[in-house]
Amino acid sequence: MKRKTVKIIPLGLFALAFALSTARHAQAQDAKSPYPTSMAPLQQYLMDRDAEIALARSAAPTSVSNDATVLVFGRQGYETAVEGKNGFVCNVDRSWMDQFENSPEFWNPKRRGPVCYNPAAARTLLPITLIRTKLALAGKSKAEMNEGMKAAIENGELPALDPGGMAYMLSKQGFLNSKCGNCAPHLMFYVPVKDAHTWGAAPLGTDAPVLLATHFNGAPEPVTEFIVPVSEWSDGTPADSDSHAH
Amino acid sequence: MNRKMIRLIALGSFALVVALSTARQALAQDAKTPYPSMAPLDQYLMADRDAEIAMARSAAPESISRDAEVMVLGRHGYETTNKGKNGFVCVVQRSWIAPFDDPEFWNPKGRAPICLNPAAVRSFLPVIVKRTELVLAGQSKAQMFEDLKAAVDKKELPAMEPGAMCYMMSKQTYNDRNGHWRPHLMFFAPLTDPALWGADLPGSPILAFNGKDSPERLTVFLIPLGQWSDGTDAPPM
Repeated sequence: MKRKTVKIIPLGLFALAFALSTARHAQAQDAKSPYPTSMAPLQQYLMDRDAEIALARSAAPTSVSNDATVLVFGRQGYETAVEGKNGFVCNVDRSWMDQFENSPEFWNPKRRGPVCYNPAAARTLLPITLIRTKLALAGKSKAEMNEGMKAAIENGELPALDPGGMAYMLSKQGFLNSKCGNCAPHLMFYVPVKDAHTWGAAPLGTDAPVLLATHFNGAPEPVTEFIVPVSEWSDGTPADSDSHAH
Repeated sequence: MNRKMIRLIALGSFALVVALSTARQALAQDAKTPYPSMAPLDQYLMADRDAEIAMARSAAPESISRDAEVMVLGRHGYETTNKGKNGFVCVVQRSWIAPFDDPEFWNPKGRAPICLNPAAVRSFLPVIVKRTELVLAGQSKAQMFEDLKAAVDKKELPAMEPGAMCYMMSKQTYNDRNGHWRPHLMFFAPLTDPALWGADLPGSPILAFNGKDSPERLTVFLIPLGQWSDGTDAPPM
C-alpha cells in the first residue's frame, strides 16, 4: 500500500466524521437551513434510470455489484431494475435516510447515497429504506415520517435483524452531504441496538477505526450501524485521489 | 493497495485460527520449518509482566484497552491481571494460535496482541485458552487438532456469536515472515461463505479465511486499517 493511500483513512475518517457530526447541531437550524425544510418537488429527487443503476453499482467493487440486484427510485418508490444472482442489493439512498433529529439536509434533493447490502442486510435493512421512502412519497413531514416508522416497527413490519448484516458504501460518485460530498469510502455493519456499546465504536468526529452512525440506533429503528472507513473507492483508486470528484 | 501483499500478510497472521490443512499435512511440513516442535516454555513467556500487559493493551485504541481486562501467559496458562470495565479482553496470543500448517506454529518469538469485544470474549477467547491449555499439556499438533475438533463436537467450545469482533492494531505484533504486518479488524462467524460479505473478491476491502478444514470450524473476516493503535500511520507496502 502506498503511504499516500494509508494516510487517507484518518483523513477520510475525519471528513466523514465532521460531515456527519454537523447534523447534531442542526435541528434548531432547520428553520434557517439553506436546504428544504419539507420535501422538494419529486422531480428533483429522480434521476436517469441507467445513471442511477450505474451509481447504485458504484457502491461496491464490480466483483460484488455486477451480480447484485439493483433498485432504482421512481415516482411510486423503489423498483427492481436488475435482478441479481449473488444476494446483494444495491440502491441509491435519498436524503430521508438521515436521522430524524438534527438533520438539516433531511430533504436535500441533491443527496445520493449509493449502497450495496449483503444478503443478510438486504433482508433486514432494506425494508427501512422502503418504508421511509413510502412515507416520504405519501407527503409526510419529517415528524410524521418518524411517527410512521415507529408505527411500522410496532406493527412488526420490520423483520428481525439477521446476524452478519453489512453493506458497502465505496462510491466516489456519491453525494452524502454538503459538507464532505462523497466523504470517505466505508463499510457499514449492523447489530441490534442493545449491542451499540459492544464494538468500542467512537462517536463521529473522533479518530477511531470504528464509528457509531447517528441515524437509526433506536430513533426509532432498532438497529445500530457501525462505520469502518477503508482506503479505496470501489474503482480501486485511493481515497485521497479525487476524493471529492462527482 | 497492493492486495496480493495484504493477503500474504493476512495469511501469516497468528490470529487467524483457520487451519488450512489437516494435522497430517502440518506434521509433514514440520521437518521443513525452523520451528519443528515446541521450544522450551520460557522462550514463549515474557519475563516482564508489565510489558506483556502493555503489549496486550496496544492491540486497540487506548479508549478501548484502558478499560479492558488483560490476561497474561504464565506457566499454567493465561491469567487475569485486572478486572475490566467495558467487557473487552486483551491478550498477547502466541504462535500456536496460527493455522496448523503454518511453519511458524512453534515460533517462540511470535506475538499477536488482540483485544476481543464481549461477544468474541465469550466465543473466541475460549479457543485461545483451549489451544494454550493443550500446548502446556505437552500435546503435539496432531493431538491438539484432534482434541480441538472433539471439543467443538462436544460443544465444549462455543459457536461464534453474532457481532464477535476484535482489534489487532498493535505495532508490536511480530512473526518472522511478516514482521509487524498491518493493523486490522477481524470479525468472527460460524463457518460461512465468504462471498456473503463480498470478501476475497477482486477489489474488495475485506479478506476472509474460511476454516472448513480447521478444528474450530469458523470463518474470519479481516479489514486492514491505515493506522496503528497509537495513531501513527501503518508503513507503506
